[in-house]
Amino acid sequence: MKRFVYINDDEASNELCCDNRISNRKYTLWNFLPKNLWEQFSRFMNQYFLLIACLQLWSLITPVNPASTWGPLIFIFAVSASKEAWDDYHRYLSDKKANEKEVWIVKQGIKKHIQAQDIQVGNIVWLRENDEVPCDLVLLGTSDPQGVCYVETAALDGETDLKTRIIPSACVGIDLELLHKMKGVIECPIPDKDIRRFDANMRLFPPFIDNDVCSLTIKNTLLQSCYLRNTEWACGVSVYTGNQTKLGMSRGIAEPKLTAMDAMIDKLTGAIFVFQIVVVMVLGIAGNVWKDTEARKQWYVQYPEEAPWYELLVIPLRFELLCSIMIPISIKVSLDLVKGLYAKFIEWDVEMIDQETGTASYAANTAISEDLGQVEYILTDKTGTLTDNKMIFRRCCIGGIFYGNENGDALKDAQLLNAITSGSTDVIRFLTVMAICNTVIPVQSKAGDIVYKAQSQDEDALVIAAAKLHMVFVGKNANLLDIRFNGLTIRYEVLEILEFTSDRKRMSVVVKDCQSGKIILLSKGADESILPYACAGQQTRTIAEAVDHYAQLGLRTLCLAWRELEEDEYQEWSVKFKEASSVLVDREWRIAEVCQRLEHDLYILGVTAIEDRLQDGVPETIETLRKAGINFWMLTGDKQNTAIQIALSCNFISPEPKGQLLLIDGKTEDDVSRSLERVLLTMRITASEPKDVAFVIDGWALEIALKHHRKDFVDLAILSRTAICCRVTPSQKAQLVEILKSCDYRTLAIGDGGNDVRMIQQADIGVGISGREGLQAARAADYSIGRFRFLKRLILVHGRYSYNRTAFLSQYSFYKSLLICFIQIFFSFISGVSGTSLFNSVSLMAYNVFYTSIPVLVSVIDKDLSEASVMQHPQILFYCQAGRRLLYL
Amino acid sequence: MSSNTASSSAATAGSGDSSAARKNSKRPKYSKFTQQELPACKPILTPGWVISTFLIVSVIFIPLGVISLFASQDVVEIVDRYDNDCIPAPARTNKVAYIQGGGDKACNRTLRVTKRMKQPIYVYYQLENFYQNHRRYVKSRSDSQLRSPKYENQISACKPEDDVGGQPIVPCGLVAWSLFNDTYTLSRNNTRLAVNKKGIAWKSDKEHKFGNRVFPKNFQKGNLTGGASLDPDIPLSEQEDLIVWMRTAALPTFRKLYGKIETDLEMGDTIHVTLQNNYNTYSFSGKKKLVLSTTSWLGGKNDFLGIAYLTVGGICFFLALAFTIMYLVKPRRLGDPSYLSWNRNPGGR
Repeated sequence: MKRFVYINDDEASNELCCDNRISNRKYTLWNFLPKNLWEQFSRFMNQYFLLIACLQLWSLITPVNPASTWGPLIFIFAVSASKEAWDDYHRYLSDKKANEKEVWIVKQGIKKHIQAQDIQVGNIVWLRENDEVPCDLVLLGTSDPQGVCYVETAALDGETDLKTRIIPSACVGIDLELLHKMKGVIECPIPDKDIRRFDANMRLFPPFIDNDVCSLTIKNTLLQSCYLRNTEWACGVSVYTGNQTKLGMSRGIAEPKLTAMDAMIDKLTGAIFVFQIVVVMVLGIAGNVWKDTEARKQWYVQYPEEAPWYELLVIPLRFELLCSIMIPISIKVSLDLVKGLYAKFIEWDVEMIDQETGTASYAANTAISEDLGQVEYILTDKTGTLTDNKMIFRRCCIGGIFYGNENGDALKDAQLLNAITSGSTDVIRFLTVMAICNTVIPVQSKAGDIVYKAQSQDEDALVIAAAKLHMVFVGKNANLLDIRFNGLTIRYEVLEILEFTSDRKRMSVVVKDCQSGKIILLSKGADESILPYACAGQQTRTIAEAVDHYAQLGLRTLCLAWRELEEDEYQEWSVKFKEASSVLVDREWRIAEVCQRLEHDLYILGVTAIEDRLQDGVPETIETLRKAGINFWMLTGDKQNTAIQIALSCNFISPEPKGQLLLIDGKTEDDVSRSLERVLLTMRITASEPKDVAFVIDGWALEIALKHHRKDFVDLAILSRTAICCRVTPSQKAQLVEILKSCDYRTLAIGDGGNDVRMIQQADIGVGISGREGLQAARAADYSIGRFRFLKRLILVHGRYSYNRTAFLSQYSFYKSLLICFIQIFFSFISGVSGTSLFNSVSLMAYNVFYTSIPVLVSVIDKDLSEASVMQHPQILFYCQAGRRLLYL
Repeated sequence: MSSNTASSSAATAGSGDSSAARKNSKRPKYSKFTQQELPACKPILTPGWVISTFLIVSVIFIPLGVISLFASQDVVEIVDRYDNDCIPAPARTNKVAYIQGGGDKACNRTLRVTKRMKQPIYVYYQLENFYQNHRRYVKSRSDSQLRSPKYENQISACKPEDDVGGQPIVPCGLVAWSLFNDTYTLSRNNTRLAVNKKGIAWKSDKEHKFGNRVFPKNFQKGNLTGGASLDPDIPLSEQEDLIVWMRTAALPTFRKLYGKIETDLEMGDTIHVTLQNNYNTYSFSGKKKLVLSTTSWLGGKNDFLGIAYLTVGGICFFLALAFTIMYLVKPRRLGDPSYLSWNRNPGGR
């Protein structure tokens, strides 16, 4: 499954590749009507109404003028269709704008100005600074002599930092003029939607002879919708175009979510339908019996003696038409209308604007507001959701000495400052790792200050702290890093970056000291992925103690390590690394394996402790929502101790003796099984006591529990009102949501980062915090809010009101339809069960549309209780959770 | 009733902080509607309000009921069922054969006036077990044909009484075809009592629904004769018996106006009615009644309204009384949170 792209070759254009026309449209002008109608008629309700309307055309059985059904039916269809058409028209306009954007490409060696939609696979596209990338490109050249350029990928993944992209090694040093004439072939995978992977190879044709197959990664690409920044120009060859780009492929239509209320309304409709059928059958039989006994005597009716074969069906069908108004035709349109308004109320709410950034809340999904009022479980991420994700370096432990313990700020610790001025080796190495073991890009602002663009907040905190401790990361020029330490500039050359992945949980860089020529490996990572690789003879106990100590204070820890490499060891490893980097299959896994071979015998320098402050109002929000009967689970990738500390500080769990924490741990299946049983038993015993019991489980034990003891774990999930799951992966988060959903609980997942996206998509309601870790979560979510504390208002005010209003509206819709239908049924008993309508067509239609449907829409601004009293007595939400407003059971 | 206007104190959040507003143009504007703070009033049902509302309702309804009942009592009504008695005793074994047979079907009835009746006195005929609301019957008419001679041929709805030998029947349909044809002649002390048959139909029917240029055609010329015939020289708008008949009744028991007597009847008067018993209600055992009735400001004799008012008023009075006693015996502080369900049994849902 590969595709070959021939650079700059117009003849060999591939049949399989489309042009660069972007199309997000669902319909064209021609297929709109049939396709839209088909879509609308795939709903059972609509099929039913159409059948009724068609039956009404048969004048023998219709009780009223067919217009009284056709009118509303056509109106409702027109409303739905115009909404679709309006959305599609806007998609068309934005597509058109993107498609007709002018770009520079090279054709037959000449630069030409064409529209973006005419770009073909294999064309060389030229971009200038601040241009948007029109399709997925493989970088060939940039204005930078080192072949580096910077892109902003905010539109793609929501991350606002600048990312570096470099040209493939084969293209280094090619002249500007020659770029026009470049020929070659790129072997790349078929289009997929993974924006973090591009495993391809490139080979250039003569005269650019380069025997090596040059491997390409995502670092060599410019993806569609990114922006070129801080680079005068760049050019690249297009590999994926149109809807086949990474962005185009990932743009799926999300599965529409159905609320509990919708499901209930569907059920009610079904029940009414069954009732209607029963009524129709009873009345139909009664009508036929009456006709054959009584009506024959009524000479003025003149029933004919001879009857056509369908005579028996006529009366039942008449009653079917008479009773068809039992199912309110307008309910869907009314609900869609008011749901749209609920979403608007959320967006308009001035009390849910983040005052710091000015971002208002946003409801991406307008259809599920009332589910907010029925939430039973909230699954929350920790970092960035409960906490501010504003990392500040607080303490450290270098070579067994704790800094910053007295005043809580290592940057002001005189002891550490002394150690730096005296030039302690360990401390200086420690600072060096802090400053350069990262992927941060320093940007010199106009005022001369240095601003760091970092992908992770931790790295940002470390680099800033290092700078404050006189180890300033001044500039990055391709592979050369400049560090200023005490007025002295030290230059390092970066040889390799062993990137961070969530499996490895560490990152390393291999650098060469340009003065001494020594090659050094610098690593940082979680304690459990660094300490096992310590060099023999080093005592890691103090380090482990330091990690525990910091974790208990709720600080995030990272271990820093260092190793000097021999020249030939590095060379030997470098070959393997290059090999692994050019594999097309399982590249990530192969690289991880190769990295492992270098990261051993590390000399552990020390531990950094970074504080991540709680957001404002988090404890109050959790307490209020808990009072409202909502259970909280915290799912975090962080360490157990840190997670528990944060949980304590934000009222998540109560300290002893009021609360009790039950640990599920173990490395083997038996351990986990025993531990799980014990916790389950304790849970059952304490269920009757007024005690806050919570369980804590880590990712490893969770994996085993889900695999082998799923039933026990589900039992535990039902019993437990609070849980902390630490060190869990994104897919485990999604699995936990799945488990709660399978127990018929309404779940809400809230998170802020890319690792929460799956959980957010899986949950009944996904809420994203538009925070610092990019907008990925907010984009995938149904609602995005600026701060965690807005969740209280979102659920108690907007969710509750939406639920109440929808419940009222749907009850009312059913009521008014049943009311008029019962009048018709009772009338039929005194009209010889012949199916006469008591009302004429105009009155019926006016009743359905003008008297009862439109006025009731005003209930969308109805409030049963003031916001203040709901906030004061959050327990009132019980009624919504139990669904008691719609069905008084 | 405590009027609870939503506070507008939250307005502060919207103003100020212009730097953030500049950055984000999507920032919502503050208005009472967008913040769901439109002034509203939510009645709180305090005992005082509930009791006084019930009391006021009962105070208004009970007298109203009494007045309505009195008005209904004032109406004098004479009802005489004649369908059975107007068939000679020998023919009573097969009434249908008698009514369908030929010959004079005259019948004499005597009515006693038990109470003085002031003019106008309305003469009705009342049919029971007659389904004018039967679907087949109700639909069998052509309103456009009745309105204008232009639409004479619009008879598709009128089946099976739509045409005779290809010629359209005017007025067509089962409703017109089954026109009631019993006639009444009233006399008092051997002097004839004039029954005015003008002005018994609705004015709007005469002016708009039945055309003054539409004349009966081919009416009752088919194989079966239903009811009365019509004078082909009088336009439909003047055929008031037909107009009254064609305003179909919603219930199977109904009265239709036959005419008006425009003189007072004294107590003790004896009224002789000579009637032609033509209309067949015997095949479906329907009753026929002759009704003489005066009216009051409330209409005819009908106690329902008065009884309904009295019942509702009585219930309200009783409820007001019950709530007052409950309030006096076991008063409860309003808005006491300890009564909330989650405070009464903590932990329970």
